[in-house]
Amino acid sequence: MTTNLQTQPDPRVPAPAPALEVRGLVKHYPGVKALDGVDLVVRQHEVLGLAGENGAGKSTLLKALVGLVRPDGGEIWVRGEKVRLRSVVDAADHGIGMVFQEQSLVPNLTAAENIVLGSEGPGVRRGIYRWNTMRRLAQEQLDKIGSHIDPLARTDTLSFADRQMVEIAKVLRIEERTSHPPVIILDEPTSVLESKEIETLFTQVRRLREFASVVFVSHRLDEVLDVCDRVAVLRGGRSVGEVPSADAAPAELHRMMIGSTGSDDHYHGAVAERPDEARRPRLVVRGLSGKSFRDVDLDVHAGEIVGIVGVHGSGREDVCRALFGAEPTTAGEVVLDGEKLDLSGTRAACAAGVGYVPAERKTEGMVGPMSVADNMTLTKQQSRCTGPLVRPRKQATLVDRWIERLSIRTPHRGTAIQRLSGGNQQKVVLARWLVAGDVRLLLLDHPTRGLDIGARSEVYRLMRELAGSGVATVLLADSLEEAIGMSDRIIVMSDGRATTEVAAPPGGKPTPLDLVKEMV
Amino acid sequence: MTSPAEADAGSEVVNAGRPQPRRGISLSDAGPPIALVVIFGVFAVLSPDFRTLSNVQNVLDAAAVLAVVTCGISFVLMMGSIDLSAPGIMGASAIAVALLVANNRNDNDFGLFGVAVAVLLGAALGCLSGLALVVLKVPSFMTTLGISAVGLGVATLMFAGVQPNVTDPMLEGWAVERFLGLAHLTWIAVACVLVGVLVQRYSRLGRYAFAIGGAEEVLGLSGVRVAPYKVAVFTMAGAFYGLAGVLVTSQLSAGLVQAGKGYDFSAITAAVVGGTLLTGGRGGILHSAVGVLLVTVLTNGLVQVGVSPYWQGGVQGLIVVAAVAAAVLPQRRRNQVTK
Amino acid sequence: MSAPALTSPAPDAVVPGRPTVGQRLTAFMPVIALVVLLAALTIADPGFLTLSSLTAAVRTSAPLVVLAAGATLVVLCGGIDLSIAALCSLATVFFALWLPDLGGITTVAIIAATGAIGALQGVAHVLFRIPSFIVTLGGMSIFTAVALVISDAGPVRVVDRDATNWLTLYVGGVVPMAFVVALVLVAAVSLVLRLTPLDSWIRATGYSESAARLAGAPVDRVKIAAFTVSGACAGLAAVMLVSRNFSGSPTMADNLLLPAVAAIVVGGTAITGGHGSLWRSLAGALVVTLLRVGLPIVGVPSAYEQILYGAIIVAAVALTLDRSKVLIIK
Repeated sequence: MTTNLQTQPDPRVPAPAPALEVRGLVKHYPGVKALDGVDLVVRQHEVLGLAGENGAGKSTLLKALVGLVRPDGGEIWVRGEKVRLRSVVDAADHGIGMVFQEQSLVPNLTAAENIVLGSEGPGVRRGIYRWNTMRRLAQEQLDKIGSHIDPLARTDTLSFADRQMVEIAKVLRIEERTSHPPVIILDEPTSVLESKEIETLFTQVRRLREFASVVFVSHRLDEVLDVCDRVAVLRGGRSVGEVPSADAAPAELHRMMIGSTGSDDHYHGAVAERPDEARRPRLVVRGLSGKSFRDVDLDVHAGEIVGIVGVHGSGREDVCRALFGAEPTTAGEVVLDGEKLDLSGTRAACAAGVGYVPAERKTEGMVGPMSVADNMTLTKQQSRCTGPLVRPRKQATLVDRWIERLSIRTPHRGTAIQRLSGGNQQKVVLARWLVAGDVRLLLLDHPTRGLDIGARSEVYRLMRELAGSGVATVLLADSLEEAIGMSDRIIVMSDGRATTEVAAPPGGKPTPLDLVKEMV
Repeated sequence: MTSPAEADAGSEVVNAGRPQPRRGISLSDAGPPIALVVIFGVFAVLSPDFRTLSNVQNVLDAAAVLAVVTCGISFVLMMGSIDLSAPGIMGASAIAVALLVANNRNDNDFGLFGVAVAVLLGAALGCLSGLALVVLKVPSFMTTLGISAVGLGVATLMFAGVQPNVTDPMLEGWAVERFLGLAHLTWIAVACVLVGVLVQRYSRLGRYAFAIGGAEEVLGLSGVRVAPYKVAVFTMAGAFYGLAGVLVTSQLSAGLVQAGKGYDFSAITAAVVGGTLLTGGRGGILHSAVGVLLVTVLTNGLVQVGVSPYWQGGVQGLIVVAAVAAAVLPQRRRNQVTK
Repeated sequence: MSAPALTSPAPDAVVPGRPTVGQRLTAFMPVIALVVLLAALTIADPGFLTLSSLTAAVRTSAPLVVLAAGATLVVLCGGIDLSIAALCSLATVFFALWLPDLGGITTVAIIAATGAIGALQGVAHVLFRIPSFIVTLGGMSIFTAVALVISDAGPVRVVDRDATNWLTLYVGGVVPMAFVVALVLVAAVSLVLRLTPLDSWIRATGYSESAARLAGAPVDRVKIAAFTVSGACAGLAAVMLVSRNFSGSPTMADNLLLPAVAAIVVGGTAITGGHGSLWRSLAGALVVTLLRVGLPIVGVPSAYEQILYGAIIVAAVALTLDRSKVLIIK
C-alpha cells in the first residue's frame, strides 16, 4: 500500500484531499475491457460532469464506485484514504451514494419509507414502525433539497420528477453514516424529464454543492456544461481529459468523446455494388403509431442500410420491434415489396422474410443452453426439414456451411451457444435469418452491443455483404459513429417522431455533431 | 368484521398517517367490497333462508378458519411468492393439538399450552419452506408443495391409525360457545385479522413483505437483506396455518389428517378476489378479509339457493381464474413471458 | 413488475466450458437412484429381486409413468400442470359413466375429452396470460367439483370389465400390458419430438420464452399442445386405474399428484423449463414407485412416504434448478 507514495496527495499541500479519487481502475469482461485504467478526481464541493459515448465505460465506472462491480485493478480513494467497496452499503458507509438511471424506489411504499429504507434509525424501534418519527426524518431530508412532497404519499402516485427528488433525498441519508460531506452520483438524471423539471433539478444540484460533491452523468452535453464545474471525458475505458466547463463548448467535448479521427475508418468498407432493384423501396412505412411513437414514415430500399438514431426514450427501439410484430401498433401501414405486412405477431413477420436481431442477445436473441445448430435453424425450420420431419444430416450440412461462411468460431455445431464468445453468438443469431435465403428486411437492434472491436468489424462486414445481396436493413446503432459509418441514410427520431432525415453516402457523411443537434 | 380493525388501527397511533394515499379510493380497492354487497343482496333476494340473522351468523362462523389461513397466506402473496403448504401444516397441527389436549388416545391435558405447541409446530414447518426458498433457492410453490407433503406425513405418523377425539372442554367450547352471537372461533379469527392488520401497517416485517413484492431488487440496493424477512414471513404464515388447524380440530372435536384439505386454494382464492395481486406488492389483510367474506357468502348462498355443495370448489376455481385474468389482462404486453 | 427477473443484460458472463460435477451427477441422477434403490432393497430383502415383485412394481407404476410423462411436456415448456391428478380422477368417473353407452370406444372418448380439457387450460393460460400453476390449480378444483357432482361423491362401479381387460394382460406372460402401453407412449412422444421441430420449439420456449418468440417459434401453440397432451395422458392413466380398480371415483387419482411431480423432478427435468425429457420422467416414476413399495420392505412405516415425497421434491428441484435464469426466486 505504501509503495505508491509518489502518487499520493502531497501532505504538505494545504488543499483538502479530494472527496473521491480513482486511480488506474481496470475492469475486464470476457472479450471487452470495460475500464482500461481510468483516473478520476472529484474535489470537495464541486459538480463534476462525466461524459462519454455508449460503451466508454461510464456505467461500469459508476457501478464500481458504489460497490456493484468489483474492479480487477486500480484503486479508489475517499478523502485520502484507500477503500474497497464491496457493496452499496459499503459505499454508503464511505459517503458515496448514487441516484440510479432506472429509479431505485419501491413503488408501493410511501416516499418516507423509501427515503429511510435500509437505514430507518429511530423510525423503527424493535421492528415496530414509528410513523411520526419516520415522517419527520423524511421531512428533514426533503427540506434539505427544498422539496414539498408529502412524505406519506405512495411513491407510485408521484410524478417522475418528484420521485427523482425522493431519490435524491434518499441518497442524502448517507450523511447519517459519515461525518464528511457525501459524494452523490447522478446517472442520466434528466433523460426523461421535461425542460421545466430539468431546471428544478439543476437548482437542486447546485444547492447540493454546498454540502456535497456531485458526479453528474448525462448524454446531453449542453446540460453537462451548464451545471458542472468541470467535465471529465471517458473514451474506450480510459480517461481522455478534463475541461473546466467555463471554457468548453459542446463541440470540443464531443471531439474528445469521439477521438481524433471523427469517424473511425473501419466502418467505411468498400460499398458493395447495388443491384438494380435498389431503385424501388422495399419497405414502406406510413404513419406508424404505437405506445411510444407516432406517425413514423420510413422508406428502405433494397440493399440499403438505414440507421435510426435518437436519445433514450425516442421510441426508436419500439418502432423496430413493431416492424417485427413484437410491439403493438395503433395505426399505420407497413408494406414490404408491395405487400401489406402483417404486424400481429412475430411469426407472421418471420414468414414474410423479416428478420430481427434483438439488443438483449442473452435473453432475447439466443437460447443459451441450446446448440449452435438448433439456434441457427430455430426460425427457418423448413431449412432442415423434409416435410414435417427434421433431417439431421440436412441440418448438419447447412449449419456447417454457415459456420464456415461466417467464420463462426465454435468447437462443433452441437456446442451450446452460450459457450461461444459474444461475437460468434451474434453471428449465429444473424445466421438464423440467412439460412433459408429468404430474408428481405433485417432489423438490427444494437447488433454490436458488448462486442469487442474485432467482432464488431466482422458484424459490419456481414451487414455490408447482406446489403450487397439486396437485403434492406434498419440499424439501431450502438454509437453515432457506427450509425454514420454503416448507414446510407439516417433517420433522426425524437419524442416518438421521425424528425429529420440525413443522407449519409460514402464520401458525404455527416458529423456526429450534425446529428446531435437534431436529436436533442 | 372489518370496521373494528380500521378503528383500532387508527386509534393506536394518533395522527400517524396511513401508508395508503388518502386521495380517493381506486376502483380496484372498492371493487371487492361492492361485489360483496351486491352478492349478498342478490342472495338475500333469492333465498329467504339466506337473509335470516342465524344464517348471517353461520356465514361469519364458517368464514373463521378460512380467515385465519388467509391472514397467513396474504403476507406470502404480498411478497409475490405463493404458499401451498396450508393443508399439510394444518393437518400436522390439528393432530398435534388433538393429542396434546385432553383426548381419548393418551393422558395429556396441556390445554392452552398444547394449542401453543401446535401453533409453534406450524411456524416451524413454515420456517422450513422459507429456508428452502432462500437457502436452496427453490421456487416457493415447489418448497411449499414439498412442505405440505411433509406436514401430511408428520400428521399421518402422529395419527397412527387411531383418530384422536378431543375431550378438552375449552377447545370444544371454542366452536360451540357464543359471545355476542358469534362463536369464540370467529372472535379468534377477528383477532387474527386485527393482528394481521397491525403487522402489515406498523411492523417492519409487514412493510418489508409489501416492499419485497413491490421491488425486491431495490431493497438489496438499499442495503436491506431480504432473506431473513422472507423466512420470517413464511414462519408467520405457518403459525397462522397452525392456529387454523387447531380451530378445525375444535370444530370437529377430533384431529384429522385431512383437516386442511382445500384450504390452500380457498385462501388463495379469497386473497386474489379481495384484490391481492399474485405478482405481489398489492393488497393486504383487510382486502383479504373482504375476499374471505366474499368466498364464504358465495358458497353459503349457492347452497341456500339449492346448488350442490360439491360445486363449492369448482366455483372457487372459476372465480380465481377470472380474478387473476382480470388483474393481469390490463397489463398484458406482447412478448410477455408467462410461466 | 416483480415477476421473476430475468438475467440482466450484464456483459458476457463466463460460461464454464465443461459441465460441473453436480451437472454430471444430475444428468444420471434417475438412473443412479434407480440402481441404488434396487440394490438397497435387495440387500434389505434378498427375496425382493424376483420376477413377480418386479412385475408387480412396474404394473403399479404404469399410471404414474403416464401422468408424469404428460406433465413433463408442460414442465419442459416452463410451466406446471397441477391439475393432472384431479383430471385423472374425473376421467375415471367419466369412464364408469360412459362405458354402458359408448362401449368399446370409451377409452378413445375419454382420452379425447381429457385432451380437450387440457387444451382448454392451455388456451386460458396463453390467452389470458394467467400463470400456469394458477390455471391448473383452478382446473384442479373445478375438475374435483365436477367429479363429485356427477358421481354423487361416491365410487361408480364398472360392471363391464371387457373394455379394460386388455390392459390387465401380460405381454409374453411377464411384462404387464399397462406398463408396455406407458413405455410405448413415452417412446412415441419422444420420437415425435425428436423427428420434428417440436423438440426445438419446446426447449426454446422453456429455456427462454422471449427468445423463442422473437425467433418466430410458435410459442403459444406449443404450450397449448403441451397442455393437451398432458390432459390426454391423464385420461389414459384414468383408463389404467379403472382397469385395476373396476370403478371410477372422484378422488381415485388425487394422491398421484405429488408422486407425479416428484417423478418429474427426480428424473432431472428442470422445473424452470427447457432441460429434461420424458425418458427421465419414466425413470423418475420408477424410482418413486420403488420407494413406495420398498419402504415397508426396509421396515419404514408407510407414513414416511409423504415426508419422503416432500423432501425429494425440494431436494431434486434444488439440484436441477437453472439458477442462471432466475435472479430473484419468488
